[in-house]
Formats: sequence, structure tokens, C-alpha cells
Amino acid sequence: MIPPRQLILNIRPEAEPRFDNFVPGENWEILARLHDISRGTGQETLLYAWGEPGCGRSHLLRAVVAEASRHGQPAAYVAPGEALPETLAGVLAVDDVEGLDPEAQVRLFSLINQAREGAGRIVAAGSQAPARLDLRPDLATRLAWGLVLRVQSLSEADRTAAVRERAQARGLELPNEVMAYLLTHARRDLPSLLATVDALDRYSLSLKRPVTVALLRDFLQKPLEL
Amino acid sequence: MPEFWPHCLDHFQAKLNPQQVNTWIRPLSVTVTGDEVRISAPNRFVAQWVRDRFLGEIQQLAEVFYQAPRMVTLSVQEAKSQASTGPGEAPEASEPAPTAKDPAKPAKPRTRAGKPLPDEETRLNSLFTFDSFVRGKANDLARAAALQVADHPGSGYNPLFVYGGVGLGKTHLIQAIGNKVLENDPQAKVRYFHAERYVSDMVKAFRHKSFDDFKHKYDGLDVLLIDDIQFFAGKDRTQEEFFYLFNNLIESHKQVIITSDSFPKDLEGIEERLKSRFSWGLTVMLEPPELEMRVAILLNRAQLDGNPLDENTAFFIAKQVRSNVRELEGALKRVQAFAHFHQQTITVELAKEALKDLLAVQNRQVSIENIQKTVADFYKIKVAEMYSKKRTRILARPRQIAMHLAKELTDLSLPEIGQAFGGRDHTTVLHAHRKIEELKNSEPALRRDYNLLLQVLTG
Repeated sequence: MIPPRQLILNIRPEAEPRFDNFVPGENWEILARLHDISRGTGQETLLYAWGEPGCGRSHLLRAVVAEASRHGQPAAYVAPGEALPETLAGVLAVDDVEGLDPEAQVRLFSLINQAREGAGRIVAAGSQAPARLDLRPDLATRLAWGLVLRVQSLSEADRTAAVRERAQARGLELPNEVMAYLLTHARRDLPSLLATVDALDRYSLSLKRPVTVALLRDFLQKPLEL
Repeated sequence: MPEFWPHCLDHFQAKLNPQQVNTWIRPLSVTVTGDEVRISAPNRFVAQWVRDRFLGEIQQLAEVFYQAPRMVTLSVQEAKSQASTGPGEAPEASEPAPTAKDPAKPAKPRTRAGKPLPDEETRLNSLFTFDSFVRGKANDLARAAALQVADHPGSGYNPLFVYGGVGLGKTHLIQAIGNKVLENDPQAKVRYFHAERYVSDMVKAFRHKSFDDFKHKYDGLDVLLIDDIQFFAGKDRTQEEFFYLFNNLIESHKQVIITSDSFPKDLEGIEERLKSRFSWGLTVMLEPPELEMRVAILLNRAQLDGNPLDENTAFFIAKQVRSNVRELEGALKRVQAFAHFHQQTITVELAKEALKDLLAVQNRQVSIENIQKTVADFYKIKVAEMYSKKRTRILARPRQIAMHLAKELTDLSLPEIGQAFGGRDHTTVLHAHRKIEELKNSEPALRRDYNLLLQVLTG
């Protein structure tokens, strides 16, 4: 038997990442700190958020930048592979620090020094705690110097709730057995789950078939044509 | 008469999406007594969010609902125990809350004591002084030399070369010299810069053809402080320019102070002529702080933050974070932030909870196998030699260092450590421990290796 095809995430979640569409789970504290940073309040000049892939790091970073811009602060989000600015102003969010090449590491080092001198604030994110990052030690210890917070992945209950909400928002009825199948057969990080719900909804509409386990199974095995 | 809060919920459910309602509205609990509507939020963040976005609206809803003005107050539920401040917990007590009519500012963030920007001209941070520099065995010599230089710049140890691993206080120490020089002589021309900044300023000066301006910045200095000189590695043009600057200053008896992550001779990618000049004056090392010093650093830092720490907690944190001051301060910051967020006082228990992710990372890291492998790799011997019976010096010394590290970094008993090293006796471990302690005092090279290994394993 051919194993079910795993869904590959190449669909963006629909909404712009913001604080109010982040499912907090146990991440209240980090939300509060990031909220402060985006408002220019609080005392943190450097915050490093880490957690496993899919835990919501990038969402949070983009949300800080969006919120800071809304409040009139200069703010920029640097995606993995993009160049870091030379000088710091306002709020800078640097995602996936473990992917920084040696030159970019020196640049971030210098930006952190600027942040400590009061030039602005930095929010960085990665998949590992600072001590385990394979970066130049003077950079890794500088990340450890700021406020280091772990982004906790959502519990199964929170994920289920988030998926149900998304389905509800789309007017989609998700029977319990479909939900159970989804959580055991598809990628279980939240962005993938939500994207699956969106795609499943479109799939069910296009075939005019109700959402059942059979439909979901078909969908997950179907080659992606998105 | 229908109740007010269900009415409110209906209103927000119609207006917001379900996630927003679940995140911001449902976690609130509401009691109505007399003319007052008391709302309590599970934590500060929800409280602030609701205050900013929804409180005015709730106020209006209440006025319409009761057909009379009502006082709506919003407060934060007092935390019950630890992290769990999830929805659904009944409020136990309320702190005095601002009303919607008189919206007080959100809780004022504690400010880190001072933290002024560096002075434009000198680039010195006035908080980095000798008074705030915590003394200990690990930095006594370096501190004494720095004080000497601060009181007699240009006349004795020139250059003063301070080296040590990351996050041990090099920047603090040399900026303390700069600040002291200025205190003694406010007219003195002192300038601090980070080597990386020097490199990038020079690149910019070339790009904008403003090289004379660049050089002019360093004219007539009495004291030049340059941090992290290893950033000059491979930058030949920068090194050449710095070579002339350095010579000029030394010849005119102006003080030069340099920091680096390694001993001058061990600097990679730096010209020989510079390296040899760096050793002309006095070279001093900063070592990782010992336990007592780490405790003192924490107590001092907490005091400066206006949030004093009790000794038990300081001791607990200091025992967990060994490798450098930066991570130590980061850990303290984490504990303070956690306590602040959950509105609890700092205790050992709270510190444990706040640092649990950090501790999980560290405990995973320092296993006896990890120590053996790291030390074997460092001395380029096979891991198997850690358990072998051979006792040649080239194998015995690394093995002793590994045993010593195992005793320092793990909770294993001496017999257990001996067992892990090929079934050796616990007295062998004890001997290794004493031997390395002794050699650390008599052989600087061994001490350097040891400190490096310690940082690799714990950092």
C-alpha cells in the first residue's frame, strides 16, 4: 500500500500575522513582552524567541513589526536569507538566526551593540536556545544577554480549537472523526493544519462532496496542484 | 432582568472573529455589584489589550444596558501559583484598577537603573565603572592593572592588552578605565570604539572619499580604547591604518587599551608586527567567574535594577549558569521578567520555574560522555583513550582534565566518574582533581585550555 501523501505547506495562511490572530496557548508572557516592544514601552532592547518549527515564531515576529508600524515606529522584518540593515532604527525582527552566514552574524552582532546603545530594539528568533546555536560565540552570548523566551508549541486541545475556529470561520463543518484523522495523518504544526483546513474546504467545494474522513484521505493522498 | 455580561459577549461575538473573542473576551470574568461592573483579566497582557481596545466600548454598552452611567473597572487577577493563568480561573482578589472614565496608564515598566546612552564624543557608557565591576579571583590581576593604567595613563603599561572568553567583562573593565581617566582629568581626550565599528567606519570613509575625516577622529587622543581586536582578522588595510595610529599614540606616550578573545600571539589573521606590538605593554587575562563571584555579580546587578535578590536565589542561579557573565545576567533578567509578569516575588522555586527551559538545555549538554568527547576532540586524541589503561602524559593529562570537569559539571559521585573512565578508582578521580587544580595555578597554558573547555561545555 502506498503510504498517504504528506501535505507540503506551500500555502500561506490567509491572514496577515498579527497579535490578535495568534493563538496564544501558553505564550502569554512572550506576547506581552512583544506587545511592549511594538509600542516602544517596557525596557527590553533585545528579545530572543526560540522554539520548534511551526510554534509560531515567524508569526510573532511579523506581528511585532506590523504592530510597531501601526504605532508609527520604523520597523522591519528580515526573513531568512535576506540582508540585515547596517544601522538599527526602531524595531528590527530577525528570523531564523541559525541561518545567518558569517558576514550576517557580524552584522547582527553590531546591531545588537547598537541596540544596547539605545539605537532601537531587536527581536530575534531561532529554533534553539542561545547556548545551542551554532553561531559565533560572541553573538550567541549576546543573544543570551537579552530576554530569552521559549515559544511553546500549542497543546493538542489548543490546536484542535484553532482548527475548529478556522473551519467555522469558513462555514465548514468538521466532524470529530475528520478532526481526529487530520491530527494523526497531516502535519500537526498549526500553520500546516490551518492551511490544510483551507485547502480541504476548497477541495470539498470543488468536488461538491461533504467533508468526511474518506474525502480527507483522498485529499491528503492527492498530489498538490496549488 | 437579563444579565449584562452575556449581553456584552453577544455584542463582541457579532463583532469580532471567534479567535479574538476566545483570546480577549472570554477569559475575562465579570462581577456586577451595585453601580459597579468589575472586570478581571487573567493576566496583565489581556488586561492591557482590553483596556486599549475594548474598555471604552464596554463602558458604553453598560450605560446603554443599565440606562445609567456605570463605573467599569478592570484589574488583573492575582496569580494563583505559577504559569497557569489560563481562562476560567475565578478572580480571587483585585488590585486597585483604573476605570474606563479615568484610564490610568498601563503599569509603568521598571526601568533598568539608568542605562544612559553612551557619550557621543567618548562612546563611553557611564555605568561601566570600577565601582560596579564585581571583584573576584578571576579578575583581580586584570582589575589591578586597569586601575593602575587609569591613574597613570600612558606612563606604565602601554598598551594594556586584556583578553578572555566571551562575556567576561572585558568591555566593562576597559570602559571603567576610560571613565576613571575622565574623572581624574575631565579635559582628557578619551575614545572607545569597537573594532567592528572601526572596520565599517573605515570602509564607509573609503566609499565616501572622506578618509581624512575618519583619521581626524583619532587625532590628539590621550586614551584610545579598542574592543575585540580579533575583528581586524583578515582586514589588511584596516590593520595597516591601525598600525600607524597605534605607533603614533605609543610614541607620544598616549595610552592604548585593547581587548581580544585570545592571547596576542594566538590571534589569527592579524599581522605579526601588530601582534608583537600588542605584547609590548602588559597582557592580562579575565577568567570565568567562580561561584562566589557569580553570586556577587547577581546581587549587584539585581541591586542596580532596583529589584534586590535574596542570597539563596542568587546562589541557585549562579550554580546553574557558569560560563560567562552575559548568560548569567540573561538568566537574572529572565527570572525578573517572569516574576514581574506573574506578579510574584522572586524565590528559588520561582527561579527554577523561570529557568526551566534554560536548565533543560544545559542538563542535556553536560553529560560525562559529552565532556569526554569534547576534551578528546580538543586534545586531538581518541575518545577511547579516556577509558584506556595507558598512562603516558599525552593521554593522562587530558583524561585528568576530563575527570576534573566531570567533577565540576556533573552531579555524579567520584566512584561513578571513575567508572565512566574505564573503571578507575575514586581516588584516581580525586587525584586528577587536585592535580588539575594545582596545575591551573602554575601553568597558564593549561588554565587557558581548561577555561576554554569549560566555556565550550557550559556555554
